[in-house]
Amino acid sequence: MTEPSQQEESLGQAYDLRLVQRLWKFILPYKRLFWLAMLLLPLQQAFGLAQPYIMKIVIDQYIGGRDLWGLQGMGLLFFGALAGEVVTLFFHYYLTMAVAQSCLADLRVAIFSHVQKLPMSYFDRNPVGRLVTRMTTDVDVLQEMFSSGVMTLISDFVMVAWIVVIMLYIDVHLALVSLALIPLMALAINYFRVKARQTYRQIRERIARINAYLGEAISGMAVIQLFAREEKSYREFEALNAAHRDAYHLSNLYEGALYSMVEAAGSVSVALLLWYGGGEVLHGMIGIGTLVAFKEYIHRFFVPLRDFSQKYAVMQSAMSSAERIFQLLDTPIAIQSPKQAVIPRPFRGEVVFDNVWFRYKTDDPVLKGVSFRIHPGERVAMVGPTGSGKTTTIKLLNRFYDVHKGSIKVSGVDVRDWDLQALRRHIGVVLQDVFLFSGDVRANLALGDHSIPMERIEQAARSANADKIIHRLPAGFGADVRERGSNFSGGQRQLLALARVLVFEPEILVLDEATSSIDTETESLVQDALERVMRRRTCLVIAHRLSTIRNADRIIVLHHGEVREMGSHAELMEKRGLYHRLYQLQYEREQLTLATREHVPHIHD
Amino acid sequence: MGRLKQYVWRYRRRYWLGAICLLATATLVMWIPWWIREAVRIIESGGSLEDVTFYAAVIAGAALLQGVARTLSRTLIFNAGRDVEYDLRNDLFAHLEQLPLSFYHSQRTGDLMSRVINDISAVRVMLGPGVLNFVNAPLYYVYALALMLSMDVRMTLAALLPFPLLIFAVRQFRGRILKCSLEVQQQMSALSSHVQENLSGMHVVKAYTQEHYQTQKFVELNEVFRAKSLEMAQIRGVVTPVMQGISGLTVLIVLWYGGIRVVRGDLLVADIVAFIAYLNVLAWPTAAFGWMLSLVERGRAAMKRLEEILKIEPAIANPANPAPIHGLKRGIEFRNVSFVYDQLKNGHPAVHDVSFALPVGRTVGLVGRIGSGKTTLAQLIPRLFDVSSGEIRIDGRDIRALPLGELRRLLGHVPQEPFLFSTSLRRNLAFGRGEVSDEELDRAIRVARLDRDLAMFPDGVNTIVGERGVTLSGGQKQRATLARALVMDPPVLILDDCLSSVDAQTEAEILQGLKSILKDKTCLIISHRISAVKEADEILVFDEGTIVERGSHQELVDRGGVYAELYQQQQLTEEMEQV
Repeated sequence: MTEPSQQEESLGQAYDLRLVQRLWKFILPYKRLFWLAMLLLPLQQAFGLAQPYIMKIVIDQYIGGRDLWGLQGMGLLFFGALAGEVVTLFFHYYLTMAVAQSCLADLRVAIFSHVQKLPMSYFDRNPVGRLVTRMTTDVDVLQEMFSSGVMTLISDFVMVAWIVVIMLYIDVHLALVSLALIPLMALAINYFRVKARQTYRQIRERIARINAYLGEAISGMAVIQLFAREEKSYREFEALNAAHRDAYHLSNLYEGALYSMVEAAGSVSVALLLWYGGGEVLHGMIGIGTLVAFKEYIHRFFVPLRDFSQKYAVMQSAMSSAERIFQLLDTPIAIQSPKQAVIPRPFRGEVVFDNVWFRYKTDDPVLKGVSFRIHPGERVAMVGPTGSGKTTTIKLLNRFYDVHKGSIKVSGVDVRDWDLQALRRHIGVVLQDVFLFSGDVRANLALGDHSIPMERIEQAARSANADKIIHRLPAGFGADVRERGSNFSGGQRQLLALARVLVFEPEILVLDEATSSIDTETESLVQDALERVMRRRTCLVIAHRLSTIRNADRIIVLHHGEVREMGSHAELMEKRGLYHRLYQLQYEREQLTLATREHVPHIHD
Repeated sequence: MGRLKQYVWRYRRRYWLGAICLLATATLVMWIPWWIREAVRIIESGGSLEDVTFYAAVIAGAALLQGVARTLSRTLIFNAGRDVEYDLRNDLFAHLEQLPLSFYHSQRTGDLMSRVINDISAVRVMLGPGVLNFVNAPLYYVYALALMLSMDVRMTLAALLPFPLLIFAVRQFRGRILKCSLEVQQQMSALSSHVQENLSGMHVVKAYTQEHYQTQKFVELNEVFRAKSLEMAQIRGVVTPVMQGISGLTVLIVLWYGGIRVVRGDLLVADIVAFIAYLNVLAWPTAAFGWMLSLVERGRAAMKRLEEILKIEPAIANPANPAPIHGLKRGIEFRNVSFVYDQLKNGHPAVHDVSFALPVGRTVGLVGRIGSGKTTLAQLIPRLFDVSSGEIRIDGRDIRALPLGELRRLLGHVPQEPFLFSTSLRRNLAFGRGEVSDEELDRAIRVARLDRDLAMFPDGVNTIVGERGVTLSGGQKQRATLARALVMDPPVLILDDCLSSVDAQTEAEILQGLKSILKDKTCLIISHRISAVKEADEILVFDEGTIVERGSHQELVDRGGVYAELYQQQQLTEEMEQV
């Protein structure tokens, strides 16, 4: 049902120099640990590969020479090699993982802090889930690359090279016979590698489909249930699931065959060794010990070959994960402070929109030449029917988006010349749908800034009438806030948001009043708090409450992305234009509804 | 774990065949050292090259046979693991389909997803590679021990001296690995929750310039995760070398003790070679012992978590012996219905003591402000939630006594929040049905006024919509969900403010088109726009979860209450739109 997404891996290379170089930058801070781990590698292998050689000496010289003392000594040597191997193996693994965990932790932070800087338009386009995957799953894949991919792949190559050298050193002829199967093996491995790669690609595609389907089914479960579609959806899911299983069945066959072939080749090589080497021993050219050592080396030689395809697959997915991660890191930060960022001092709470044009993507323009000026300390209400561009106006003010034409000046400076952080700190925003973070109430008011003293937070909560709800909570300021503040009502969230504004004391307040219903008790608290919050600030309010526009110094009427009327309530009413009608429409109702409500018995009283 | 046994039992033939192939593989693997011993013995005693060649040929032949048996055993058992994975995933999906909306409200999609994906794969690893090694290891041990004992008892006992050490080590690591991997997982989930929340609240983060603090918090969590992962690496890092060391120790003993005995003359070098070969064969199962145990531990822990989901009894399910529904005869009736979201603050009822009748063939309108409880009310009829008190009856029978699927098929519900699946528009529209003729599709598309939009889509009705295709506007989505319900052609339609993002002009056209369809349907129209409910047989005005006014449009307008006021405003709005 679901189509493969575009981001589904273009699986191909298991090694991409460009990506490796970029990953290397994250390893650099830990390069000493890294090189230490790398240095331990040949050491560990030397300890390991010394063991068969010691066997050869033991058998040919000491057992053959009936030298028990020498045998003891060689036993100790063997033990030493073994101990060395164990210790170096541990430290190699541990150091590798320490480097991996550290540099991947850095990578995660790099992604996270980069994402923090991306413009809002990026989040409009990219679902949250995808970004979470970048930071978790994709980084995990890279960890696997360290623990069972690239590092062991390198060590395998080194080991195979060691073995070939040692075997050639001991006996060239015997070495050549023992390794006679290698060309054949290389061909076979390559064949299965190609096959396995094809199925592997299929598998990735199919698992992605399963997951996409599952994710969507979970989000749209209500629809599935409403349409009593459970059975049909189940069958669709089952089909995807079966396709995935079948691909794996095939891949199991290839991998199994590859694995078994390598194992069999090892034994056949031993047979060749016995046949050719046996003859040499019988002719007295080499000792039995050499034969034994060769057998050991053959054994060790084939193990890395056996694991090769698995590691190759790990590398492949690591590269595509790295690709995706770096793609994210390369996403330009479209909106950021300019090089010579300005922080005007002293700050004047003045806002000027000068012929502002804006559109989202390629749609019709949302704002068409909007111009207005708000003086410091002035309270301006913005009104207009839905879709007139009110919300967009406030999103432009704190530079969530950049204007397409015209300019916006705050305190006399174009917002694009401002230091972005400073600009936003001067502008407090309260949106309709208040977002609370999970954590406690205090953290939500101070937004994690521990340097803000408790008194200031308490003071803010009092001024915003939020103390009344906070004190009702068993844990007060330490009370738990669940994800998105779901354990607070809309009105309560509003009060907390107003308190948050007061904690940060911005000079300019931008407010999108809530339209949704708040219970009457909280409503009066919100009204009261609003009045206090707006005092002594430049305020731009998308007004939905009668009292808010009545108390505004000036009213801007926005319609279809244009400023249609501007003036005080009285002036605009007199004009009998758009505002007059809007007023009748949206605000007179409020009085009436409030009046009728008095007659409605309250259910929760 | 009872459930797991059932799955395994289902594929017992694959497992049995796999086990037989494993036995064959093990037999061949175990005889090869024996034949090596024979060959070396001949070489050692200066025998004929022909005899050596014979054994070499035997070994080569056995190796090839072993390759075949090994391929089969691995394929069979790994495939069985995939089969169980397939079944488990299907069953889980089927189970998720039965869980009520309240379950999904209490779970984060991402959390649930990662759980399902990662846990199922952990179970699969346990039942594939885990089982293979679990069968293989004892087989190898028994075989190797028997053959070694038959060669030389004392030598065997000496070689096995380090094994108690092994058992001790395994016990030590087992618990620690399990505990540690659990902690790592928890930390990971804390990390991704933080990311998830940060991204969802990005507008607040930016507006309050909290990027720095958010990053700091992330760094803290990340640091804990790193530390935990390192702890894990430390334990894992010890396991492999220790196992390898122990198996190396056995080789050392054979070499040393065997060497002494060869010098003494009561053992051959060939025996040492064979012993070392056997110990080599045992090296892998020994080294992999810890790994195998962790696979099993992880698999069991994952299965436990899956069980937690699987054992949740669907709170809203089919009653025990539901009598079938034969269409709608009399109608739907609400009797003193109240509903409280249990997790909701203060326990305010979202719907409070609501009674009304929706007689068959009639249309009832429901108007009220946003948040007044209209949607909740609508969700009670298809039992997305169950009433807290009172009852909803269909033809006099409590809906909780009706078969759930039939109940829902009776209702065409157009939800407020349009949700479409990322597939072709056609499949979305036919969602409630299997086969749909082009005529039926066209009619629904026309009524929902989707025809003009279709002309602009690249592939018409076959256009893929959603995240992976064309992005639809809110209005287009709403109209598509309306068409989806119309295609289903149910006797009852519940339209939950389903045209809120559609402009007034189109809405009027849609309402006009709906008229003929609604004639033979029972319908509940929920809207905050009067125009949508004006012609309903009865209109209920809803506020704060309860009905405050009711009557026909004319009656309500005449009464001059809330409804009349709302009506007047909306007439003004229409005027506004035309400015």
